[in-house]
Amino acid sequence: MRTTAEQYLRQVDAGRRPDLPETTAGTLRLDVRGDGCTDHWYLTISDQRIHVTRAADDADLVVRADRSVVDQMVNGELHPGAALLRNELTVQGNIQLLMLLRRVFPGPAGARHPRELGRAALARRGRGAAATGEARP
Amino acid sequence: MRQEKLHVIAGSVFAISDAQGDMEVDPQEPVGLFAFDTRFLSHWVLSIDGERINALSRDDMTYAETRFFLVPGAASHYVDADVSIIRHRSIHDCFHEKITVLNHSAQPADFTVRVEMGSDFTDIAELGLRQRAVEVTADSANNQLVLRYQRDRFVRQTTVRSTEPAEVDEGGMTYRIRVPAEGQWQTDLHVTMTMGGEDGQDVRDHLESHQRAVRTGMREDLADWMDRAPQLVAERRGLEEMYRGSLADLAALRYRPLSYDERVPVAGLPWRMWLCGRHSIITCLQTMAFTPELAPATLRMLALMQGGHLDDDIDEEPGKILAHLRYGESGAFGDRANALYYGSADTTPLFVVLLDEYERWSGDADLVRELRHPARMALDWIDEYGDLTGDGYVRYQRRNERDGVINQVWKDSPEAITDANGRQPALPRATCEVQGYAYDAKMRGARLAREFWGDPAYADRLEREAAALKERFNRDFWLPHQEYYALALDPYGEPVDALSSNIGHLLWSGIVADDRAEAVAEHLVGSRLFGGWGVRTFATGQRPYNPMGAHLGAVWPSDNALIAAGLRRYGFDAQAATIAAAILDMAQTLGGAVPEMIAGHERRLTKYPVQLPAAGRPQAWSSGALLMLLSTMLGLRPTGDNLLVNPAVPAGFGRLELLDIPGRWGHSDAYARDRNTAHRARPRVR
Repeated sequence: MRTTAEQYLRQVDAGRRPDLPETTAGTLRLDVRGDGCTDHWYLTISDQRIHVTRAADDADLVVRADRSVVDQMVNGELHPGAALLRNELTVQGNIQLLMLLRRVFPGPAGARHPRELGRAALARRGRGAAATGEARP
Repeated sequence: MRQEKLHVIAGSVFAISDAQGDMEVDPQEPVGLFAFDTRFLSHWVLSIDGERINALSRDDMTYAETRFFLVPGAASHYVDADVSIIRHRSIHDCFHEKITVLNHSAQPADFTVRVEMGSDFTDIAELGLRQRAVEVTADSANNQLVLRYQRDRFVRQTTVRSTEPAEVDEGGMTYRIRVPAEGQWQTDLHVTMTMGGEDGQDVRDHLESHQRAVRTGMREDLADWMDRAPQLVAERRGLEEMYRGSLADLAALRYRPLSYDERVPVAGLPWRMWLCGRHSIITCLQTMAFTPELAPATLRMLALMQGGHLDDDIDEEPGKILAHLRYGESGAFGDRANALYYGSADTTPLFVVLLDEYERWSGDADLVRELRHPARMALDWIDEYGDLTGDGYVRYQRRNERDGVINQVWKDSPEAITDANGRQPALPRATCEVQGYAYDAKMRGARLAREFWGDPAYADRLEREAAALKERFNRDFWLPHQEYYALALDPYGEPVDALSSNIGHLLWSGIVADDRAEAVAEHLVGSRLFGGWGVRTFATGQRPYNPMGAHLGAVWPSDNALIAAGLRRYGFDAQAATIAAAILDMAQTLGGAVPEMIAGHERRLTKYPVQLPAAGRPQAWSSGALLMLLSTMLGLRPTGDNLLVNPAVPAGFGRLELLDIPGRWGHSDAYARDRNTAHRARPRVR
């Protein structure tokens, strides 16, 4: 079941996020355009924590996008950088905070750890050796 | 013989034309006006009275500015032309061309001047692969032609404005002019390139990073850049010119990414006018003694773009440093994985190497503290994501099998990693030089942890890991009979036995056991690897060797610069000098910007360096290589708060001085002399 932007942003973990640099701080407003209305989400980033509220206040970076675009991002289906390049997402202010959205939102579902490829290669070798009866030291 | 191509460059904005200044589509080469990886003009042709024009001469004023002196007609009959044309072209964020028509006769004369204009808005990554519907608006009332391409919300627009009244049609602008006797007529053509953002305005207008950018003139900017760099005084003829040329190339190849307010190096013309992690890092390492300002900008930019998730499409993992960043259409829409791409096994350790090296030169401890988190993530990446099979080596295998990079190392052509018989190993592969970089990153990370991050326990751990890696590496990669290190290991730990230039990088990183260094050094200057113009990427006498193969026999200045530095690290001064002299000879013989690579033919055989059509220039890490070779010849090394100078200058270079080398010592000078002249009694002039 897909998560909506609203569901995702409501339950962003307010705890410490070790993947955020401790030197990064700032405010980011996400304007999600829907049918005739716009939702404003206000993200405050400091000390490796993200605090989410609903407010239309000024922010260091204002990000605007249609709800369908934000929905794709919160489901890891669209990279914020790609959305920016396609102009499906527009920004105003300090764009360096945009890369934080990449960390706030999840990566794509089903992505593999590189070790899976390593294990698969070793397993192929094992199978190959068994099939041909070879013995390798 | 193909016609000479001319370029003007301002970072990732550049224009390539023929010798007349005309631009016409060439299916093989990127000709036209490009910005952000998109072609904004593919057709730009000047004619007078229906005749094409011919160049008499040209004045390349700076990398961003050229003047063409032209006459109508073919070369055979222009001699007594009584009209001539000056085309003065410059590039910045916009493209600008001033056309001056001079009437040399004693009578007023009427002319029809026409500039044909068109754009295909192609993404440079897919030149000629796709037709795009371009909307053209001819607006004679405003002397303006607008070319526009739109895909969903993605908009690219070229606007050409003329200062003189013009008849504008969909194919260009026409001027019907009368020029007085001995008089002249002028128009300015301004070409603006828009990447559609909010409300159709350019996306850059909304970014602080681009509003803060001070728009100084390109000429002053270049003059300042040259002033900040040390001054070279060289007895050897031509060396000072090559040095200044390389500095100017590096100035041209800086651009300001969308997300950033400082300029970082792009890889180079014509195919890689964008940020490539590896090229940028190597360029910074090469130019530390000359243009250190590139390093903090590059480190911060790469930290900002550091990987945060697992993403198969872009081969991303947490902590990984970018392979490249592009702005073209195909990447934006995921047609190709080339907007943001992380498929690179070496950028992440090299990021740590650069951070440490920069601190050693600059003393910028604040930056080391500011970038602690990304550096720590990069170090964690080495073991958590880089080690694919669990044997302690950094390997690579693309997860994007559609268009990910197969060989995610500096030798990135698909067939580059092969054994002496031409067999390519299975994936994932561990190439030797990446293990050297990982070793170096851990050693340097340990220093940073101990001296700046207040984490001695972590420093101890990194040093233990580095020592274990060095030991393991010297056991598993060393080929005792051949006496060199294998190019790579396959996933099962079997060595790939090719003799390659990669072994030189191992000296640079310090992973070579002391008692094996001499054998490695001798291979590097031996006849199989060394061809007279530098060290080949791949040694002769092996089946895949091909002097024209980019990574299977060609000679790369960037590769050689690291090798020469590595040789000096282990005390092989004569071998380092041999390589430095060869590359400098090659660059000087060819003239102009140092090419990306040349063919690996024997110097004795060809006498002249054989150029390769695929080799780009200028290239940041080639121009940087020339600087690094100078630094290596002088033996520049920061020790504490001082600059140590320990020269080993090739014979025939005479006296060499580098003045005002910037660093934590303020500014310092280096003086050197080659051995021949040092021991020769010199006649006193005064």
